[in-house]
Amino acid sequence: MRQRIYGRDTELTLRMFFTMFILGLLYVAFIGLLFWAGINPIVIGIFAVVMALFQYFGSDKLVLVTTRAKVVTPQEEPALHATVERLAAMADMPKPKKIAVMDTHVPNAFATGRNPKNSVVAVTRGLLARLDEREVEAVLAHELAHVKNRDVMVLTWASIIVIMAGFLMQMLFWMSLFGGIGGGNRDRGGGNAFMIMLAVYAGTITVYFLSQVLILALSRYRELAADRASAIVTGAPMQLASALSKISNEMYRIPEKDMRQVEHANAFFIIPALKSNGVPVLQPSEGRQAHRAVADDAARDGAWVLGPAVGAVERPLRTQQTAQAESGAVLLNRDGGVLAPGSDRPSHH
Amino acid sequence: MTAESSLRGRTGLRTTEKAGIVFIPVESTFFESLDSEMRDLFRSSSNATGTRYEVVDDSHGTRWVVLDDRDFEDLVSIIHLVGETITDHGFGDRLLAAVFGFDYEGKKAYCIYSIKRGSFYPLVLSGDQERDNAAEIRLGAVMEEHKIPVERDLERWYALWGIPF
Repeated sequence: MRQRIYGRDTELTLRMFFTMFILGLLYVAFIGLLFWAGINPIVIGIFAVVMALFQYFGSDKLVLVTTRAKVVTPQEEPALHATVERLAAMADMPKPKKIAVMDTHVPNAFATGRNPKNSVVAVTRGLLARLDEREVEAVLAHELAHVKNRDVMVLTWASIIVIMAGFLMQMLFWMSLFGGIGGGNRDRGGGNAFMIMLAVYAGTITVYFLSQVLILALSRYRELAADRASAIVTGAPMQLASALSKISNEMYRIPEKDMRQVEHANAFFIIPALKSNGVPVLQPSEGRQAHRAVADDAARDGAWVLGPAVGAVERPLRTQQTAQAESGAVLLNRDGGVLAPGSDRPSHH
Repeated sequence: MTAESSLRGRTGLRTTEKAGIVFIPVESTFFESLDSEMRDLFRSSSNATGTRYEVVDDSHGTRWVVLDDRDFEDLVSIIHLVGETITDHGFGDRLLAAVFGFDYEGKKAYCIYSIKRGSFYPLVLSGDQERDNAAEIRLGAVMEEHKIPVERDLERWYALWGIPF
């Protein structure tokens, strides 16, 4: 019997199945709606499946292109390759086909690919520079868990309904611009056809947003599962917690101190006074947005052209509170709220 | 510094047509006569560009040469020239930074070139003495996309309060 190295989390599994069940109901209701309105769902269905397959088989290449991540050989990044190899062995899965590095200073990581053999794990230069070895290991274990859990596959199939609804929404929009839903409905009478079309339109929009929400929930559960797996595989939940907190608190490293103050001080002291005692004045949520703005290119670019929610399976950017809850670790204490601006500002000469 | 010019036209980022170079003056005839030095410099080199300039002392004991030009490329090359003139007079170690003014996402923003570090970093203001760190990280990424050498150590993204433009 295969070893279940990741253990079980009954509650999480239940929630995942519940989400997928609701999503399934939504599928049935949506297709029922289409039949009722006299629209053949097969054509739209085939279109959506083709789009999904394209994403499914192309996700690794697609993401590499959109994020401009560079595949690195074991010669170029021996330590990175060795760590991934070791973690893959521990998780009883093949080593991902490609390991890539993105040349940006914002720390982040992602994994994608339809199966473990064809997967890509990528990290940014910033992540390698800012996190220590064990923290990088924890992040990589999290990414490998996505691969092992086949999250790209799960989210691709889940997002077919979004693609269908999105496509239909556009179709109905153009149809309404160019007049009427076609000859077939004319015998039902003009007013009736209009009402049906309106109902389909409203139904499609509802399905579209509901399925988006469900997929978001699902991908969140997959994140939690990956965090959990990382903690179990590395045996060090603290490492993942501190990695996450380093990633999400990155911008608190930006000092409030004036460059001139530092330069003046350095002229008088032998030991450079470069440590900042700057006050963070921003809310954690803004920080996460900042990171996402840079690092979620994959999800953004690829996703909206081809349909949402697939591509890179990654959002390692959470607040400490959730990181704590997710990894089960006791976290470094930082007062998370908004500090009063100006309370600890450097005075001027 | 020419990489700077590629920042123009980027969505959400607009030059304010102003730039400056900031340094710590020392007692010397060169700095006493900086104004006339600059006048000479501008007469000889950039008559055609129509760049306006101003020498400003701030409350931090530092001095600015502030330039105003509609052509961003001219701003960059003249800032460079001013820096070189100061260096030629043997005061290169007094130079702190070259600063380019931008409007980023509707906020006052600056692209700061740390002369000591040889790297760029963003400064986005959300108040008189308040930085918008989130916007700065975004702008830093934009700069990096444009092949501008961005300072990797965020702890060295020092503020410059009260930039006179």
